[in-house]
Amino acid sequence: MTALALNGFGPLYARRLAIAVRTASGMIGQITTPILWVLVVAPALNTALGNFRPDVDYFTYVAVAQVAFLLPFTAMFAGLQVILDANMGILPELLAAPIRRATIPIANAFAVLTVGLAQVALLLGLAAIRGAHFHTSVAGALWFIAGASLLLLTVYGVAEILTVVVRPELYGPLIPAIGVTPWFLSGSLFPLTVLPAGIEQLGLLLPWTHALALMRYGLMHGSPSGLHDLWHLGSPELMAVLSLLVLVGFAVASLGLATRVFNRTTTL
Amino acid sequence: MRERAVVAVDDLQKVYANGVEALAGITFHVEPGEVFGLLGPNGAGKSTTIGVLTTTVTPTAGSARVCGHDVADDPIGVRRSIGVTFQQSVLDQDFSGFENLRLHARLWRMPPAEASARIAYLLDRMGLAARANDGVRTYSGGMRRRLEIARALLAAPQVLFLDEPTLGLDPAVRRELWSLIASLRREEGVTTLLTTHYLEEAEGVCDRVAVIHEGRIAAIGPPGVLIEELGGVTIEVRAIRDAGPAADALRDLGIASRPPLVAGETVALPMGESPPDLARMLADLQADGLGVAATTVRATTLSDVYLHLTAATGAHA
Repeated sequence: MTALALNGFGPLYARRLAIAVRTASGMIGQITTPILWVLVVAPALNTALGNFRPDVDYFTYVAVAQVAFLLPFTAMFAGLQVILDANMGILPELLAAPIRRATIPIANAFAVLTVGLAQVALLLGLAAIRGAHFHTSVAGALWFIAGASLLLLTVYGVAEILTVVVRPELYGPLIPAIGVTPWFLSGSLFPLTVLPAGIEQLGLLLPWTHALALMRYGLMHGSPSGLHDLWHLGSPELMAVLSLLVLVGFAVASLGLATRVFNRTTTL
Repeated sequence: MRERAVVAVDDLQKVYANGVEALAGITFHVEPGEVFGLLGPNGAGKSTTIGVLTTTVTPTAGSARVCGHDVADDPIGVRRSIGVTFQQSVLDQDFSGFENLRLHARLWRMPPAEASARIAYLLDRMGLAARANDGVRTYSGGMRRRLEIARALLAAPQVLFLDEPTLGLDPAVRRELWSLIASLRREEGVTTLLTTHYLEEAEGVCDRVAVIHEGRIAAIGPPGVLIEELGGVTIEVRAIRDAGPAADALRDLGIASRPPLVAGETVALPMGESPPDLARMLADLQADGLGVAATTVRATTLSDVYLHLTAATGAHA
């Protein structure tokens, strides 16, 4: 990126982050359910249902799944601030600023990413205290962060687009529909292979599935990552790279389209 | 004038995607330091013009340059040169007045020390220093407007765009704001382009105005000149019921510079100057049984100019 393209990124990023901090009640609301899962539901499921595979720590398996539950939800909720900025807030002022307009949604996306990763750190910390076993390394942590970040950026791009193409009053109902529903089809609580045919194929096409596979690959030392269910190859590293590329494609396409839609709709 | 113009608009046209023709080819130039008013009914094209000049609306044809930057070719150059206040309140509700200004300073890449000094000066100048750290949610409408003007002036723009700066404010606050704009103009020397529906107020502050009607400029010039062109004196007759006969009778007097304008039960007739026997003529009108309730002779205002120029469709603000 050129210096010109980065103009305005810092103040816009800081602004969006400050709003997140000042509306912390919203962030707490978003993270309450995942915390309930990692502290109560996942251990209970683990006890009640046992392991679906001997080598699987189901509690940890579900704890990582909660990251894929939380981040898209956070991204979709962040769209509400975009709607506020556009309809009752500061967007006209930002559009009059001497910056590239694409910087506005991109800076917002990275601020939401920061918030999301902070929520994830809290969630995983609580899960570890409760007894989840994360087996990772520096490389594993990077795989996890990449998977988590690209999933959030993908969904945030979708959120930005929706704030423009749907009426504000219709955006709210879309938050759970888009933020959460795909999660159930992505191997979050059980492997993809146990899903009915057709549904399983649909799951393979979701960024959630690739993100979960990468995150489990990173935090569960390659064990039941789901990568093999996706790619059926022998090399875990190669499968991880392939899923990473898929996620990069989703994120670039989603954010690229979001900035294009933003540019087109803010200049009449 | 064209060579000196800070804002140069030439044959500007805009047709929106839905087919609405907002601008049908307008041309005007604003000189350095000038306060220029765009007047016109709702939907006349004022906001579209401001939108083009602030680079949120793309022209269909023609050209517009601000401080030498073409709005289509160098929009960031244009935006670097301008300050804008919008029709609606555009503030970050979650932040204080100071924080709103600081964000603007950062976006305009002002050096921190310069920004701090300028923010302090403008907050003081606008009477907001004591409330600078309060959330803007707690500000009154007038305070918000003053903060927005301070923000628009923060980076010392060459051109200030004020889109309906006093819309929705009570008369006392409006008067205060116009006074502020006039004094800022003296202090900052900034070229100002504004739109307003409050014509008498525009008359007091604008060096020149352009009346836009149906996407075209119907008249342009200093308010006083436009008033003189219409006729410096206006007879206003209020009919008891139907204003039509009174309008016909006034037209038949042959003293008007323009056709009479009928609005409800009132007829307004502009004249170049008041005839010496006007009092007798008006008394005759009342005596002729035309149902005249009252007659008034007054100075023509910019509102009269506006109403005569935009009377064709009756689409007034």
